[in-house]
Amino acid sequence: MRLGGYSTLVALATSLALLTTAAHSLADEGPEQIVVTIENHRFRPDEIRVKAGTPFTLVVTNKDAKPEEIESKDLRVEKVIPAGRTASIRVRALKPGTYPFFGEFNPTTARGRIVAE
Amino acid sequence: MGATFVVVLREGFEAALLLGIVYAYLAQIGHAESRRYVTLGGALAIAASVAMGAAVTGLSGPLADFGPDVIAVGVIFVAVALLTWHGWWMGRHAREIRGEVQRRIDEAHATRRPWMVGLIAFTGVFREGAETVLFLWGLLTQLENPTGWTALAGGAAGLAGAGILGWLVFQGGRRLSIQRFFAVTSVFLLFLAAGLFSGGVGRLQGFGVLPGGDALWDTSWLLDDHGSLGGFLAGVVGYRARPSSLEIAAYVTYLAAAALLFFPALLSRPARGGSRLTKPVEPSRA
Repeated sequence: MRLGGYSTLVALATSLALLTTAAHSLADEGPEQIVVTIENHRFRPDEIRVKAGTPFTLVVTNKDAKPEEIESKDLRVEKVIPAGRTASIRVRALKPGTYPFFGEFNPTTARGRIVAE
Repeated sequence: MGATFVVVLREGFEAALLLGIVYAYLAQIGHAESRRYVTLGGALAIAASVAMGAAVTGLSGPLADFGPDVIAVGVIFVAVALLTWHGWWMGRHAREIRGEVQRRIDEAHATRRPWMVGLIAFTGVFREGAETVLFLWGLLTQLENPTGWTALAGGAAGLAGAGILGWLVFQGGRRLSIQRFFAVTSVFLLFLAAGLFSGGVGRLQGFGVLPGGDALWDTSWLLDDHGSLGGFLAGVVGYRARPSSLEIAAYVTYLAAAALLFFPALLSRPARGGSRLTKPVEPSRA
């Protein structure tokens, strides 16, 4: 029990520390803001061009009547945006390349990509 | 309809799989009466998911913006801690269940187990529960169109399908010999927890709490993690087609460390080998 309890305690303490840092990071304003809207289960624009090596913030507004979850494995983002709401998603400085994202609730129509160059 | 079916089936099955294993585990160790803790954990998780869905939809402000993100990451790491403890516990008791004879684990060992399995069930359902609730909720708002009903039917079918698959896992799991069940479950939990841990690390990179995030390699030509199978593996064992160095390091480190916890036999000297000094010399038979 001691080893199992100890390792759990360590894991929980680490989680608490990381969560506190996460809360602080998320509260900060990001740099350049790029506006994206979700309309008719599509992202507009669906191709976003950014400068590589510069962090930016996606400001996503869901104009549909249903919630959408914007997800990108490359950007490690998974965020539910309720109907009519706006969410800010900070994105790290990206290396040149294409980074797809999609709406998990409407994966066939809600598809987009970020092109960093 | 097909799209909603697949989404809900996949999300639901990740939870149902874990529940099936937990229920089977209780049957195997002869503590089926503790099932109610698992059911309670799952039910509370559904209630918490609904509450979270309502909060995300109803509230606004910074808490509503990054609250769910913090909670999501928190649940991931709590789940890792619980699964690690459970795997360690199974590893410790592997010796006791070596004989088919003793199927019922000591009461003393089992007292804390009901809470643990209930909590594991809770985190397993709540992890994906909040977004699934919101997804299904969204479907409910579309019922003025005829297509809305087929979409909802697809979602309901997905839930039912996930439940059936979880039930099959339960039935299969309890039919295994207890040793095989413990062995298979330990391996599964090892990879599940490794995937969760590295996924949590990745989420922190996404938030900017941890640095980095660029992919070290790209195996999407082999298995795309956006596809059906790839997505499923991504959710269950943490497969990433474009993992970051930190995610890879987290995965490997967890695997290596937890493998020693879950399979303590890896650490001990083999019983038959021993050292040259103590090994009995066998008389040769001419």
